[in-house]
Amino acid sequence: MKNAKNIYKPAYAQIDNKTPKICRISGVEILPSKIAWEKYNWTKKYFQKKPKQGYFIWVKKNISSYFSTCVSIAAKNTKQNLQNLLVIEKNLKVNLQGICNSQRKNLSGQHKAQGKIILKENSALKYEHIQSWDKSDIVESDYQFILEKNSKLDYSYKNFQSPKKLKINTRINTFEKASANLNIIINSIQSDININDILILKEKNSSGIIKLRLVGKENSRISAHSQVRAEAESKGHLDCQGLLVSSEKFHSELACRRGRIVEKSIIKLIPELVCQNKKAQITHEASIGKISEEELNYLRMRGLTEKQAIDLIVNGFLEA
Amino acid sequence: MLKIKNLKLKKDNKEILKGIDLEIKKGEVQALLGPNASGKSTFVQVIAGNPKFKSAEGKIFFNGKEISKLSPEKRVKMGLVLSWQNPPAIKGVKFSNLLKKISKVPSSHLKLSKNTKIKKQSVNLNFLNREINVDFSGGEKKISELLQILSLKPKMVIFDEIDSGLDLKKVEMVAEIIKKDLIDKKVSVLIITHSGEILKFLKPQKVNIMIAGKIVCQGKDYRQVLKTIKKYGYEKCKKHLQAGLCANR
Repeated sequence: MKNAKNIYKPAYAQIDNKTPKICRISGVEILPSKIAWEKYNWTKKYFQKKPKQGYFIWVKKNISSYFSTCVSIAAKNTKQNLQNLLVIEKNLKVNLQGICNSQRKNLSGQHKAQGKIILKENSALKYEHIQSWDKSDIVESDYQFILEKNSKLDYSYKNFQSPKKLKINTRINTFEKASANLNIIINSIQSDININDILILKEKNSSGIIKLRLVGKENSRISAHSQVRAEAESKGHLDCQGLLVSSEKFHSELACRRGRIVEKSIIKLIPELVCQNKKAQITHEASIGKISEEELNYLRMRGLTEKQAIDLIVNGFLEA
Repeated sequence: MLKIKNLKLKKDNKEILKGIDLEIKKGEVQALLGPNASGKSTFVQVIAGNPKFKSAEGKIFFNGKEISKLSPEKRVKMGLVLSWQNPPAIKGVKFSNLLKKISKVPSSHLKLSKNTKIKKQSVNLNFLNREINVDFSGGEKKISELLQILSLKPKMVIFDEIDSGLDLKKVEMVAEIIKKDLIDKKVSVLIITHSGEILKFLKPQKVNIMIAGKIVCQGKDYRQVLKTIKKYGYEKCKKHLQAGLCANR
C-alpha cells in the first residue's frame, strides 16, 4: 500500500515558487536543490552555481514502484527557474514520471528547468517527462544525462499541449556499454519550438537511439537539430519524423479573422551524424509528411468527423 | 432505402458517371457488375460521400432524405456504409483503436468474430493489434473491412469487391457473415463483384450492369446474367442483355 500511495502523491511537488512539498520514500533522499548544495559538497560539480529552486533526488536503494515529481504554474506571470539533480546509485532500477504544467489558461508563465541526471554503473532509469502548457506560456528545458558503464536510460519527453515558445536542449553522454533511448514527442499547436539534442557515444560498445515525432498544427514553427556523435566503437541511430497538419475548421476560423486562408506551419529537421571512430555504426532516417487525403476520407467514411480522424492519425503518428 | 437520380460526375472534362438511376429497397440485395474502369467504384464512393468526388451532380436519397450534400460521416450515422475495395494503410493507428472509436456495438460484443465463421475458419485475428492495413494480406484487409462494417450497425452496406483476392473457402465465409449478420437482419446490400461465386451464396434479387459510367441493363436472374456475361463478355453481351434480360426490369 505504501508503494501505491507513492504513485498518486508526487515525491516532489512545487506550485509556482512556493516551498515544495516533499514526500518520503524509503531509500530515496529528496531535498530542495539549494539544501542539497549546502549538505553535500559533491553536488557542486553538477550544479553550475548555487541553485535557488528545483529538486535533488538521490536514489540509494531499489524501489519497487515508480515515483513522480510535479512542478506547476498556477498564478499569473509566475517565473520558475529550477535546477534539478537526479542521481541513481549503482545497480538500481528506477521508474520516474516528471510532470510540468500550467494549471489554467492565460497565466503567461515562464518555466525554465536545468537538470542533470546521473546513472551510475549498471543502473537503469525509465523516465517519462510529461509537459502540458498553455498558449501563453514560455518554456525552456535543458537536460543533461550522464550514463556510466553498463547503465541504461529510457527517456520519453511528451508534450501534447504546447506552450507559446518551447526550447528543449538534451545532451546524453554514454560511457562503456551504456545505452540510451531518447524519445521526443510533441504535438505543437500555434507554437514556436526549438529542439537541440545530442547523443554522444563516448566509449566502446555504447549505443543509443534518438526518436523524434513532431506534429505541427496551426501556424507552428518547429526546428529540430539532432546529432549522434560516435567517439568510440559504438552504435547509434537517429529517427526524426514530422507531420504537418491542417484542418478545414482552422482554415475557416482564419478565413473569418483575416479574410483569407493561411496555413503556415513549418517543420525543419536537421539530422546530423558525426563519426570519429571507423568501427562505429551510426545511421539516420528523417521525413516530413502531411496527412493523406485518402486516409482522412477513409476514416470519415467510417463515421469519424474530420477532427476525430485527424486526432486518430496524429495520435497514431506520435505513438509510433 | 436508397434512391439515386441522374447521378453524374465529370473529371478533367471526362464524363465518369453519365446519369445513373438506381433504387434499392429495405432488406434488398442487389449486385453491380461491369468491366474494369466502368465507373463502379467511383459510383459507390460518390454514394458514400467521399469528399474527393464532391463535384458530382444528381440526387441521392437515403431513407427518404436527400443526402447528396451530406458529409460522409453523417451518411454513416444515418446507416449508409461502404466497404472499400482497396482500403488505405494508416501507419501508427492500431486497428483495434479504430474499431473502438467507430463501434456502435458495446466493446464486449466487438469480439463478435468469436461467434462467427471467422473463428471457425481459423483466420488469424492478431491483426487487431496491428496498424490499419499495414502489411495486411488480401484476406486480412477484407476481414478488417467486414469487422468495421459490422461494428457500425448499418442499415445499408455497399461492398466494393469484398470477394476479390479471396480463395473459394474464404469467399464462402465472407458470404455467410454477410448473409447472417446483415441480410438476415434486413440490412440492404449492394455488392460489386467480378466473380459470380459470392452471388451464388448471396442470391441477389437484382443485378445491374454498368458499362462506361452508365447502368445499361438490369436483370432479376443473376444466374442467367452471369451465364450471358461468361459467354459473350460485357461489351458483346450488351445487346444480348438488353434484348433478353432487360425485359425483367
